[in-house]
Amino acid sequence: MGRLLSSPKVLLIGAAALALIIAGLAGGALGGAFGGGFIGAPIAHIQLAAEPITASPQIADIPFFGDFRITNTMVAAWSAIVVLAVISWLGTRRLKEVPGRLQGALEAVMEVFLNACETVAGPERGRRFFPLVMTIFLFVVAANWMGILPGFGTIGRFESAEEVIHHAEEKAEKDGEHADLDNVKLAVFDGDGFLAVQPFGSVNEEITGAEYEEMEEGARPRAGLLVPFFRSANTDINMTLGLALVAMVMVHYWGVSVLGLFTHVGKYFNFREGPIMLFVGLLEGLSEIARVISFTFRLFGNIFAGEVLLIVMAFLVPLVGIVPFLGLELFVGLVQAFIFAMLTLVFAATATIHHDSEGH
Amino acid sequence: MEALGINLPGLVTAIVSFTALYLILHFLLYKPLLNVMDQRSAKIKESLETAQTAREEAQRSREEMEKQVGAARAEGQAMIAQAREVAERFREEELAKARQEIEAQRARAAADIRREKAAAIEELRGQFAGLAITAAERVVGESVDEASHRRLIEEVLDESAILGGRS
Repeated sequence: MGRLLSSPKVLLIGAAALALIIAGLAGGALGGAFGGGFIGAPIAHIQLAAEPITASPQIADIPFFGDFRITNTMVAAWSAIVVLAVISWLGTRRLKEVPGRLQGALEAVMEVFLNACETVAGPERGRRFFPLVMTIFLFVVAANWMGILPGFGTIGRFESAEEVIHHAEEKAEKDGEHADLDNVKLAVFDGDGFLAVQPFGSVNEEITGAEYEEMEEGARPRAGLLVPFFRSANTDINMTLGLALVAMVMVHYWGVSVLGLFTHVGKYFNFREGPIMLFVGLLEGLSEIARVISFTFRLFGNIFAGEVLLIVMAFLVPLVGIVPFLGLELFVGLVQAFIFAMLTLVFAATATIHHDSEGH
Repeated sequence: MEALGINLPGLVTAIVSFTALYLILHFLLYKPLLNVMDQRSAKIKESLETAQTAREEAQRSREEMEKQVGAARAEGQAMIAQAREVAERFREEELAKARQEIEAQRARAAADIRREKAAAIEELRGQFAGLAITAAERVVGESVDEASHRRLIEEVLDESAILGGRS
């Protein structure tokens, strides 16, 4: 310990870390309350729904669907897909009996899930469930881990104050209310033209839509909101709901294909074993719907909460505040991916078990 | 639903994207990699089985060899014993033969000695008779009938213990 402390390199790193921590504490919103705040910017705009990355819809007024807009979560999801596809291509380009590093790593991951599938569902059904389980895991973990990369949530399109106020009024009109511009928060940006940045030390430079409207046309600051190009794919409830639906549809498809349509559906509409079993069957059917919802919100909630946590920490203590939480998010992202995949596997396994074989 | 951000285009996009990923990974990752892994495990299984049979084969041949070595050793032992027996018998025979020969030689030598002795006595007797006659002639001073005297001396000699007995 003594030798470690006397090493100049260690001392230098320690001093730099200490300086960063002090600067972060004093320069962020935490320090801003005591007159500091020379680094921070106003807290980022947080909303549940994914933001479209362009001002106008790509395809407008599709019958029955409405407008199609590319959102930042879609971009993130597609990035994850591209990354996975490229890794797969690189890993399987030159397949060898004695694998190289990438092939070995991919094989190791696949081995874990193949073993899990075969243990839970038996060798034959395990092989059948494996591709979906594996894909869910890979997609969710890739999307979650990419979601905490720098640039996610911080680089994006500048949505001007006029646009923001317009959206707010549009929404209020649809709900039949009057737009409450006092609740529309706007951040003040620097720069002009294409480039707009939130400057250092702008922690308190936040105005409301109402204030903006009251200002003179010429004296208005460059206010608006940042719409990130990338936002962690699983913070969009459409994504998690889509995954949950695919998983549960496949589970029931396998149930039908293994047990037969009548046996499988008969589990939920059981008219042969008396009213109690009918009630139990209906409850089981209800629990299948609950599973979709729990799938959806477990993943969405965990990842969205992580995102908010990172935003808040970056706001309160910039520079260093998010460091421990990045590690936490890596862990949460992995665990959630694992849970989603394993639950899919277990549901699939239980849906394809013959109830008669339980030994009455 | 609106506040949560659930909308049909977003949901459909998510499902389509995921399905696309599923297909990409199925053809790019799972199929080739599972193939290789299955092939490898089959190969490993096969070589393990081959090793097992080779081991059994080696075991068997070793046992066989040991059996053969044991048999050869027993055979050698038997041969040595037989040879020893033969040698023993040969020695006995040779010994007996040699003893017989020695015996025969000794008998022959004894016979020779006896014969020599008899001849020597005979010669001595002859000479002694001549000497006695010559001595007698001197004493008597006249020639004696040699034939009768020689007979007389022979008789005396026969009766005497020293040169008598031609046995």
